[in-house]
Amino acid sequence: MKLTVHWLKEFVSFRGSPQKIAEALTMAGLEVESLVPLPAEGEGGNDWLIEISVTPNRGDCLGILGVAREIAALTGEHFRLPPTSPHAGDPTLKQVIDVKVMHPRLCPRYSARVVQSVRVAPSPSWMQSRLEACAIRSINNVVDVTNWVMLETGQPLHAFDLARLTSKRIVVRRAGAIKKFVTLDGIERQLAPEDLLICDGDAPTALAGIMGGEDSEVRTDTQSVLLESAHFDPLTIRRTAKRLGLHSEASHRFERGVDPEGTLYALDRAVFLLEKMAGGIPLKGVVDRRARQKGTKPILLRTEKVKGLLGIGLSPKETERILKSLGMKIQGRTKAGLKVMPPSFRRDLTREIDLIEELARLHSYDRIPSTLPLVQPGGGKVDAPLRWERKIRSFMVGEGLSEMVNLPFASSDMNRRFCGIWQGQRSPVAILNPLVQGDAEMRLSLIPGLAGNLGAHIAQKARGFRAFDLGKVFSLDPKGVPEERECLAGIIFGRRERKGLRVMEEPPLTLLDVKGLVEGILELAGVEQSTVWTIPDVPSCLHPGKAASLQFVDGSRMGYVGELHPDLCEELGLPSALIFELDIEGLVQYAPRQLTVRSLPRFPSVERDLSIVLEDGFPAQQIVSWIKEQFNHSLIEDVHVFDQYKGAPVPEGKKSLAYTISYRAKDRTLTDAEVNSLHRDLISRIGEVFGAQLRE
Amino acid sequence: MQESLETLREEILDRVAHCGSEPELDHLRVEYLGRKGRITLLLRGLREIPAEERPQAGEQLNRLRQLVEEQLEARLAELKAREKERILREERVDITLPGSRWERGQIHPLTLVMDEIIDVFLGMGFEIARGPDIEDDYHNFEALNMPKDHPARDMQDTFFVSQERVLRTHTSPVQIRVMESRKPPLQIIAPGAVYRHDDDATHSPMFHQVEGFMVDGHISFADLKGVLTHFIRRIFRAEIKVRFRPSFFPFTEPSAEIDIECMLCGGKGIPKDQQVCRVCRGSGWLEILGAGMIDPQVFRFVGYDPEKVSGFAFGMGVERIAMLKFGIEDIRLFFQNDIRFLRQFACL
Repeated sequence: MKLTVHWLKEFVSFRGSPQKIAEALTMAGLEVESLVPLPAEGEGGNDWLIEISVTPNRGDCLGILGVAREIAALTGEHFRLPPTSPHAGDPTLKQVIDVKVMHPRLCPRYSARVVQSVRVAPSPSWMQSRLEACAIRSINNVVDVTNWVMLETGQPLHAFDLARLTSKRIVVRRAGAIKKFVTLDGIERQLAPEDLLICDGDAPTALAGIMGGEDSEVRTDTQSVLLESAHFDPLTIRRTAKRLGLHSEASHRFERGVDPEGTLYALDRAVFLLEKMAGGIPLKGVVDRRARQKGTKPILLRTEKVKGLLGIGLSPKETERILKSLGMKIQGRTKAGLKVMPPSFRRDLTREIDLIEELARLHSYDRIPSTLPLVQPGGGKVDAPLRWERKIRSFMVGEGLSEMVNLPFASSDMNRRFCGIWQGQRSPVAILNPLVQGDAEMRLSLIPGLAGNLGAHIAQKARGFRAFDLGKVFSLDPKGVPEERECLAGIIFGRRERKGLRVMEEPPLTLLDVKGLVEGILELAGVEQSTVWTIPDVPSCLHPGKAASLQFVDGSRMGYVGELHPDLCEELGLPSALIFELDIEGLVQYAPRQLTVRSLPRFPSVERDLSIVLEDGFPAQQIVSWIKEQFNHSLIEDVHVFDQYKGAPVPEGKKSLAYTISYRAKDRTLTDAEVNSLHRDLISRIGEVFGAQLRE
Repeated sequence: MQESLETLREEILDRVAHCGSEPELDHLRVEYLGRKGRITLLLRGLREIPAEERPQAGEQLNRLRQLVEEQLEARLAELKAREKERILREERVDITLPGSRWERGQIHPLTLVMDEIIDVFLGMGFEIARGPDIEDDYHNFEALNMPKDHPARDMQDTFFVSQERVLRTHTSPVQIRVMESRKPPLQIIAPGAVYRHDDDATHSPMFHQVEGFMVDGHISFADLKGVLTHFIRRIFRAEIKVRFRPSFFPFTEPSAEIDIECMLCGGKGIPKDQQVCRVCRGSGWLEILGAGMIDPQVFRFVGYDPEKVSGFAFGMGVERIAMLKFGIEDIRLFFQNDIRFLRQFACL
C-alpha cells in the first residue's frame, strides 16, 4: 500500500517528521517498507511516499483513511473525514436504473448512484501525479476519481457508462452458462460457472470486484455515469482472481475484507469529487441493496485473560482509552471485564484474543516486560537422531570429506539414472509446479547433487574432490504415499591430499577407500558385525566389477558402494569417481542400545602370518569366514587379510593373499610349540579345503 | 722418581685435556694404562725398588693411576656430551617448513549455524521434534488457521505435490503434529528444510527454519519476549538491541516480528556519509524472527482447551541468520557448495 504524507495529513494532523510517523506505523504493526521523498511541487514543502506492507488481516488499512485512523489512535490527534456530496431519498433513480442481486450471500451489499452531464477529460496534474506516486495509472477524471476514492477509503468503486448499459437493469449473478467475458484490458477471459458477474440485463458487463468490461467502460463521450460501490464475498473474488491470474487493486481489497458499512460514504465522496473534477450533476437518489444481516454481539474482554496472556495487567483506564481510540464502543462493564463492540471497518476483530492483541499493540510491545518461564524437565538433551548426525558429520570431515547442502529437486532423467537406496523399486515424487521445468521431481538419491558438485569443482580445475551429503531422499511407497528417508552419500575423486611437503605421491583412491568410509560408519554405529556385502544386484549406475550392495543380516538393504559406471561418466562429462549411499535412518535402528565393555586380556597374543596362492577370482573374505566359522578354534582370536599380490612370481591368473592369525589363550601364555603346531594344522586344512598352495 | 712422576702426570693430564675424540682417548688409555702402558710398566717395576721406598712409590703410582682413570672417564663423558650436542645441533629441522597433515573436510556453515541455534534452545531445556518435508495441506495450512482460499496463503508461495500435499512452506506443521500426539507442558524446537516457490539473491526455493514453541498453563507474551531476547543475545551478542513489533501470522495472536539492530551500520540506518545502509535499507533494523502467542483456534484444532493452556511459537530462517552473522549477500552461495566458500568456516 502506497500513500503520501501530505495526503495522510489531510485526515489527521501530526507533528514530527515523516521518519517519526514511519517509525510509529512500523511499531504499531503497519510495517513501513520504504520512505522516499517525492519531487517538490509547490506548496507545503516536499511530500514523501510511504510504502506500507499491510498484513492480510488489516484490510482497513488498504485505504489512507484507515492508516490515518491508526495514526490518530497512536498519537491521540484528531481524525477527520473528507467532504462528500450526500445522497438523499429520491425515487426518480428507480426510473434510471434497477438493481437485482441474485446471490445476497456473495454480494451482501450493492450501492450505486448516478452522475449526469460529466465532462470526461484528463485529471488535473496534481491528481495525476499523486495517483501515479501511488502506482495508479491516470486514465481520465472519472476513472481517476473512482481510484482516488478507493485509495482514500479502501472501498473499490466502478464507473459504468450509463448509456452503454442498454437494459438499465443491473443483475449481480453467477456466470453459469456464460463462458466468456472481455475485461477492459481487452483480454477475453474464460469464465467458470461460479464466477460472480455484474450483468446489464443478460449481458456481462463486469467481473464483480475484479475488473470492469470493455463495453461499458467510461470514454471521452460518456455523459452519465453509474457508480458502483459494493461488497462482495472475499472467497468468491479470490477464487476467480486466482484462477484467472487477474490480481487487481479491487480484488486485492475485496479479498482482504472491505467495510460493509462504507459503501455509501465512498459513493458520496466520489460524487462530491465528480462534481468538482468533471462538472457532473448527481442524482440525489441511491440504490442500496442489502442482504439481511446477523446482529453482531459485543465481545467480552476479561481483565484476567488480558493479564494472563500478556504477562502484564493494564489499568481499566488505559484499557478503555486504547479501545476507544480504535473506534470501539464499550457497551457494558462487568466484574469480569468489558463488553466491547468493534467498529465495522475492523472486520478482523471478532474474538477476545483479537482485542487483546489490539491492547498489546497500542500499549506497545516494548512496554511489556521480559520474563523467563519455568521450564518443565524433559528436554535439554541432544536426542538420538541429532547425535547420530553429529557423529557422522565429524567422522566424514575427519576423513577429508566436506559437507554439501543441495536442493532436493531432480530431473526425471537423473532420477532414472540414480535410484538410490530403493534401487529402482520406487517411483519418484513429482512436483506439480516446479520452479525449473527440468527439475520437476524430488530426488531419489543424493548422488545427482554430489555429482553436480563434483562437476562444478572439476570445472574450477580442482585436482581432487571429496564430499558428502546427509539429507533426505523421497519416493512413493507402493500405495503412492510419499516416503522420506534420511540418507548419507559420499563421492570421492582424485587422490587424498596431504598438506605440507610432497614427500611421496599418495596412491589414487580405489574402491577400497570408499568401502573403508562405509566401514567407518558401520563401526561408529556398532553394526559392523550385522552387515554383509553382496555383489549381485548392484545399482546400474555403477561399474559392475567395482561395486557392492550392503545388507543387514536380516536381508534389508542398507545401501551400496562403487565406482560410477564409465558409460555414465562419459554421458555426464564426469571423471570416474567413487560413491556410496547409505540408508542412515534404517542403519541406526540396528545400532546397539547398550554398550557393554569387556575387560582386557591378561595374556599376550601370538601372531602368525600365512600367505597362499589362489585363483584370481577368489574372494578373500571366504578364508576369514571359513577360519572363524568352520575351523573355529578356541585359541584363534582374530583373522584378517593384510595383503593381496598379483604378478611374478605368482603364476598368471592367480593371486597371492596374506592373512594374519592372532592366537591367544585366556588362561595362559601360549608356547611357540603350541602355536606352531596349531598354525601348521590350519595351513594344511586350508590347503585341503581350498586347494590353496602355501607361498613361502 | 718423584720428579719424573710429576712430569709424567703433567704430560698425561695435558694430553687427556687436549684429546678430541673417543678413539684418541682409548689410545691414551692403552698407552698409559694398557697391559704395556707406561703406568702399568712403572707399577710392574716397583719390584725393583728398594723395599723401604716401595710403599711410598707404590702409593704415588696408584694415586697417579687413579687420577688418570678419573681424568679419562671425565674426558670421555665430556666428549660424549659434546658429541650428543653436536648431533642434536645437526638434527635441527627448519621449523619454517609447512606442517604435514591430511586435508580435513568442512562441515557446511548452515549445519554449524543450525547447531548453534539448537544448542542455545537445548540449554534452555527445549527438546527437538521433526516432521516430514512433504506435508499435507491440513498440517501445513488448515490446522494453522489458514483455510483454503485464505489470503494469508499468498504470503507463502507453495510447491504442490498433489491437491492435498505440498512441500512444507514452514516448519510450523511440526507444532501441530507434536500437539496432536502429546499433552502440555511442551517446549519444543523443530529444525528442518522448508520450500517456497522463489529464487533470487535473498530467496532460495529450499531453505532452513527452526520452529519453536512452548505450551503450558500460564505462558505469556512476556515469557515469549524473555525467551527470544535471551536466544538473540546468545546467537549475536549480549548487548545487541532488540525490538518486538506487531505483525500478523494466522496461527498466532498477538503476533510479533523481532528485529535486531543492523550489524552493518550499527542501527544508524543512514550513517554519516549519507549512503543508505544496504543491509537494513536505512531502517537501522533487521528482521530476525517471527513469533506470537499460539492462536486459540490452533489449540482447538489439536484438541487443547484454550481456556486452560496458553503458549507461544516462533520461527526463524537459518540462512538469514547466517547471512547476517557473516555478512553474506547472496543466499545461493550456501547451495553452490564451493569448497573455497565452505573452507572459510573452518574456524567457526
